[in-house]
Amino acid sequence: MFAGCIMALKFTSGPLVLAVFCAAFGAPAFAADNYQTNIGPTPLDGSNRASVLGRGSVLATLDGKKFTLHGTFAGLATPATEAHLCMGNVMGGTGPIIYDVTVSQAQSGEVSGTVMLTPEQIAALKIGKIYVLLDSQKAPKGNLWGWFQPAHKTVGPEVPQEGNWYLPNILNDDNHMVKKKAQG
Amino acid sequence: MKGREKWGTRVSAALGAAITFGAAMAGVWVSHAAAQTSANPAPFTNAQAQAGQAAYARNCASCHDNGEAPPLAGAGFLGVWGNRTTRDLFARVKDTMPLDNPGSLSEDTAVSIVAYLLKNNDATAGMAAFTPTTAVAINAVVPGEAPQQSAQTGTGRRARAPAANGSNPDAAASAGGSDPDADLRRGVAAFRTGITVAGTVAKYTPITEEMMIHPPASDWLMHYGNYAGWSHSPLKHINAQNVHNLQLRWVWSMDEGERQQITPLVHDGVMFVSNNITNKVQALDAKTGDLIWENTLGPKLTGQQNATRTMALYGDKLFYPATDANLYALDARTGKIDWKIKFSSYGNDKVGGLMVADGKLIAGLGRCDERALADRCFIAAYDVNDGHQIWKFSTVAYTGEPGGDSWGTLPNDQRTGADAWIPGTYDPKLKLTYWGTGQAKSGARGIGDQLFSNATIALDVETGLLKWYQQPAPDEGLDLDEVFEKVLVDQGSQKVLLSAGKKGILWKLDRTTGKFLDYVPAVFQNVFTSIDRTTGRGTYRPDIVASKPDDSHPSCPSPAGGKNWPASSYDPQNDLIILPLDQICVTSGGMAGNYEAPASDGYIARMSAYRAKTFKPVWTFQQRPPFLTSAMTTAGGVGFVGDWDRTFRAFDLKTGKTLWTTRLGTTAQGFPTTYSVDGDQYIAVPTGYNGRSPEVRPDVLLAYERNRPFSGHAVYVFALPKAR
Repeated sequence: MFAGCIMALKFTSGPLVLAVFCAAFGAPAFAADNYQTNIGPTPLDGSNRASVLGRGSVLATLDGKKFTLHGTFAGLATPATEAHLCMGNVMGGTGPIIYDVTVSQAQSGEVSGTVMLTPEQIAALKIGKIYVLLDSQKAPKGNLWGWFQPAHKTVGPEVPQEGNWYLPNILNDDNHMVKKKAQG
Repeated sequence: MKGREKWGTRVSAALGAAITFGAAMAGVWVSHAAAQTSANPAPFTNAQAQAGQAAYARNCASCHDNGEAPPLAGAGFLGVWGNRTTRDLFARVKDTMPLDNPGSLSEDTAVSIVAYLLKNNDATAGMAAFTPTTAVAINAVVPGEAPQQSAQTGTGRRARAPAANGSNPDAAASAGGSDPDADLRRGVAAFRTGITVAGTVAKYTPITEEMMIHPPASDWLMHYGNYAGWSHSPLKHINAQNVHNLQLRWVWSMDEGERQQITPLVHDGVMFVSNNITNKVQALDAKTGDLIWENTLGPKLTGQQNATRTMALYGDKLFYPATDANLYALDARTGKIDWKIKFSSYGNDKVGGLMVADGKLIAGLGRCDERALADRCFIAAYDVNDGHQIWKFSTVAYTGEPGGDSWGTLPNDQRTGADAWIPGTYDPKLKLTYWGTGQAKSGARGIGDQLFSNATIALDVETGLLKWYQQPAPDEGLDLDEVFEKVLVDQGSQKVLLSAGKKGILWKLDRTTGKFLDYVPAVFQNVFTSIDRTTGRGTYRPDIVASKPDDSHPSCPSPAGGKNWPASSYDPQNDLIILPLDQICVTSGGMAGNYEAPASDGYIARMSAYRAKTFKPVWTFQQRPPFLTSAMTTAGGVGFVGDWDRTFRAFDLKTGKTLWTTRLGTTAQGFPTTYSVDGDQYIAVPTGYNGRSPEVRPDVLLAYERNRPFSGHAVYVFALPKAR
């Protein structure tokens, strides 16, 4: 079983669903996996918050080693300059640039690219370490970012979700609910 | 960089002498104090100042540039620091900053920050590098003049009765011969202490232990509504079907400034509230909002200090923990002081948790993070009748005491932290009171568990002896406290305790033995890589364990906490534990480097409900502005919560669906309560706009997006329309 199963399944309701998801992750390389991320501002404090504005979203597919992403963004304070794929030390953590991707040189536009991931990078993707980073003129070291997550349902603000909402989890405790059921 | 205490104004006598700039003797600079301005180069280099600018942005700007802490540039800076030396400034920065992790800055970082502060105040860089021992009068190298001192004034109310408890002589002098109403209108009425409005509660039933165990449905007698920490009311006049009809019944404005995060307590139709900035306690008619009595205890605060989140009621007394560490017992009928004690002799702003249990007043000491602490943090019980101490439990173990070896060889005077800054709960059958403690603040990591920091603690209510402790996150160094409310629930024959700390992990313990039973992460966290299912202890990420104080180690949640002081609520009808949660990450210590958690989709806030017995997730909803009130539930199937963006919300306990909202004057902040008078149910919610991490970090994220007034401390009270 891929370790990536863990994060996708935190609040699925039972072992059957677990099996389905893990089958998807553990399936042969020809099966495509879908990912998504909402890209929001990089770390903010009083000194940079006027420069680090905007938001966007990116969808991606992993087909074998081929990782294809496409997304949109808007609301930057200054035009975007570059975009990258990076590999953090942990989901939510930072790390080196592993590939450059294409981005509109504008305050709103598109980000896209296709790259071939190494086995190590694929493994990192499946546990949420891969993130997209978009630079802008006033935020040259990063303006928007987001860590890729397995495709999952999202809802708007104040909309309740019942029972099986998505919440990433890096704990090596495997699936908490499944373990509990196994324990009776 | 944010000081726990305001930046001092004391002038060191030793530095009053003239100091000659440029002559260094054994690293100590001497210059002439008469110099008001100086084109002479100051003892720092441009390179240091440049490095300091980045360090300042990382560690200081989010507080000092945003009104959370005094600005460090201009006349205000010179007024505070002009007559002190660069060495004093260095010591302040190095030893006490940033607030969330004092002492964590490296020497080089603190040196560079001081260089930047001097440069930013128009001092001229020179060839000589600044060092920790460089001591130059700041007004010798920073041009400009300090502002004139002026008599402190503020908003006030005309005393309708003599200040029976002694008034401030300065205030009395300034008020002499003036028209107090005119002063009030001009907003310059002097600050007066004592009974500032005299009155008597007409009907007041002394509160007994039996009433504390089984609180009358019409009352909200204590911080969480009951001993078990449920923040739940059995009232059900307001329910899921009629809550949309709620109307504002009255609002009571309160003194502006400081951190207003109160719990409106209610007994016999009287609401008791406190004003943080003035330490003013008020009794209001809970039905009409009319003021009955008011006692301005003082002092009036002038800098960001602790919030006073709750008072306590018992017998005929109202207990108030003032921000100067005086603990007051007031006559609940009149507000007059019955007794007072100084419950901490060190510092003046250590307000911790407060509760009454088993007829004893129990207080926890907070803000125990100073070095060389004379009175390490503790939880202590006092006689409600005269304030004499009955027992005291130190939350920091010294050498030779049980747990003392868990601090390694660290000297006792460096064993700091383990603050008991949140009120406890109580099981009257087990005779145990349950408290949480904050993380150790020694700055040392890897030396041991540093008991009894960051733990849930069970104490015998009669003796204060430790029954058990459970420490889910020992050796915590990220300001991720496990101090918050301990919710007590009976599940069949098993008596459990539920609690979530800043990591946003909901823990379940056997409250008889302290045995770990279960957990569920309620928000994304990446500081633990695993949790031992036998002990309930987490294992930190290796890079966090190996990190040095100034290292950047992005982590989630931030010190704002996946969960913070806004309390959870337990709904017994549906067996739900409902938690207000935050989804912010941070790059390093201090207030800088805040970002949205992965997969949060930009929603800073999450409210989630779990079945208490199974920890099965039941419902959740997210929103952009963070919640800054506790969750409060009722037997009417309705819960309430308020947020940063002034929305006060009623939600369906079974589904999480919003049933009613209204907008308040400013941020809803504190602990909503509910009560009834003459058969009508009321919902009370406080507003306030200052705080620490849970309020400041979202403030950064929401800048350029949403605005709120920095005024409007108040209590709002809602009810259904009156029957025709």
